[in-house]
Amino acid sequence: MRSAAKRAAGLPAEPSGEFTRRLDRAAVLLPLLVLGAVLAGACTADPRPSGPAAARRIVSLAPSLTELLFAIGAGDRVVGRTRWCDYPPAALAIPSVGEGIGFDPEAVAALAPNLVALYPAASNRAAAGRLAALGIPTVELRTDSLDQLPPAARTLGRLTGHAREADSVTRDFESLLDSARAAPRPAAPPSVLILAWDNPPIVIGGGSFQSELVALAGGANAFGDLPQPSAPVSVETIAARDPDIVLVSDSTVPDWTRRPEWRVVRAVRQRRFVFIHGSDFARPTFRALDAVRRLRAALEAVPR
Amino acid sequence: MSRGMSRWVILGVAALAALAVGVMVGPADVAGGAALRALLGRGDDVTIGIVRQLRAPRALLAFGVGGSLAVTGAVLQALVRNPLADPYLLGLSGGAGLGAVLAIALGLGGAWAVPAAAAIGALLAVALVYRLAVVAGAVLDTRVLLLGGVVVGAFCAALVGAVLALSPADQLRNALLWLLGGFDGASWQALGVFAAYAVLPLAILYRASRALDLLSLGEEPARFLGADVEPLKRTVYLAASVLTAAAVAVSGIIGFVGLVVPHAIRILWGHSHRSLLPAAFLLGGALLAGADAVARVAFAPLSLPVGVVTAVVGVPVFAVLLRKWAS
Repeated sequence: MRSAAKRAAGLPAEPSGEFTRRLDRAAVLLPLLVLGAVLAGACTADPRPSGPAAARRIVSLAPSLTELLFAIGAGDRVVGRTRWCDYPPAALAIPSVGEGIGFDPEAVAALAPNLVALYPAASNRAAAGRLAALGIPTVELRTDSLDQLPPAARTLGRLTGHAREADSVTRDFESLLDSARAAPRPAAPPSVLILAWDNPPIVIGGGSFQSELVALAGGANAFGDLPQPSAPVSVETIAARDPDIVLVSDSTVPDWTRRPEWRVVRAVRQRRFVFIHGSDFARPTFRALDAVRRLRAALEAVPR
Repeated sequence: MSRGMSRWVILGVAALAALAVGVMVGPADVAGGAALRALLGRGDDVTIGIVRQLRAPRALLAFGVGGSLAVTGAVLQALVRNPLADPYLLGLSGGAGLGAVLAIALGLGGAWAVPAAAAIGALLAVALVYRLAVVAGAVLDTRVLLLGGVVVGAFCAALVGAVLALSPADQLRNALLWLLGGFDGASWQALGVFAAYAVLPLAILYRASRALDLLSLGEEPARFLGADVEPLKRTVYLAASVLTAAAVAVSGIIGFVGLVVPHAIRILWGHSHRSLLPAAFLLGGALLAGADAVARVAFAPLSLPVGVVTAVVGVPVFAVLLRKWAS
């Protein structure tokens, strides 16, 4: 029973268990189908819709990809999204297929897409193979950092027949990003703790785009030296690194800041919080520079 | 010095050493003498805060929780006469998980909402299992206790899975990380709360040690030998539940200690509960306080879950003990 609780904690919900089992049974009967799925799965890296016919029915299995599709003008072709895709607001009118990591291939196939854009997570591999076996092209696009957005947008543009529009908005983003990166950095940027969770404390490391957003906004991630996107540390480590500011992705002072162990951290004790709430900080998107602008203003408002 | 006496000395030294290590090492660069000076109030604010407000209560809390889990495991193994019994056996971990997840899903505020809800969930699960196991008025059937604990725990775990799948808040998954156990929430305040709930059950269990010796022979023999079996079973069950719920509230669910430490003491030391319970408390406390220090330092600045360290360090030692005992 304890191990069950741990399993529930450690793994994302698997909504497609029953369906997966049914497919497994079918696969036993049809080994050729499995072989086909494996071969097709191996060829999904760069699917080119045959001929000039661009993808007209797209299912997007990541919030950042949904945003990119709308940004390049292909939003009207998106027929399915995940439960997390909430931007732009027009996306909310599109039917949801549930989770995008560990997605349900049946729910996706039911929308009869001719392109499925998904994040290359390990738990998506089997389901992507099943889509391929059904003849549904998939494209796997990694959007972990700001630098991965332009190639992803251009790929989507090519696949949806919006290559020119994609190129134009991508170039706008790239030039904004370049000028943000070229902007003068403060001589002594404030050290910023980006906390993902309080108990156990999980901090955002240098491997996350949020670290880059903080740097572009004139701060320095207190745990920017860690290569991981996020990492568990102890309160003691945070207290010893003594960040100047605590970044809270919330709109109010969270409850954990009142716990005595956290009051050892000077920035918590002195209530040096910066609040940044919004999906433009929660995932890498073309709106990232809006998040940077808000964050810069918020960081500058904290007395040094 | 007699053999029995030297064993107590070794355990006492191990306990003090584990506490000292807990205070003197950590991921922050404050070690040895500097840490001791900070403990006495000398040094800069950050250093003093780290040693006095973080390390000291954390080491003591880990010690108290480890000791309590070991004692609970020992008495539950005697109560249900099953070597696999551990403190979370009786539906406690499932109930605690459900409480913690519901607290977050319902948006309960307050710095102590999650731990308090976990403790309440644990106690409710325990009460349900107790109700299932009480037959014919006031007789506690320990076989039903065992199976009831397993099914109530599984039921709660299933509800946790449902809440996780259906609720839109991805924070819920992080909430379950808390349940995996650790001392990141340690403070003097948490230590005080834990002590307030732990002292009485520990005293009750120690007082019951003679009767537990009889009970581990079987309920019938215990009755013939003059033990008041039914009240004893109820008291032990209740005290063990409150003790474990208090541990869950301050540290989540930490496996291994409550299962293995009692067996290690029995193998090394014999079965008399009058020495088994205090020895298990000292060894469990030393193991968990030491393991927590290792968990914080081994891959600093990253920290490991303490349950990983107790198992990685403890399993090989226990395996050697088992071989020695079997031959």
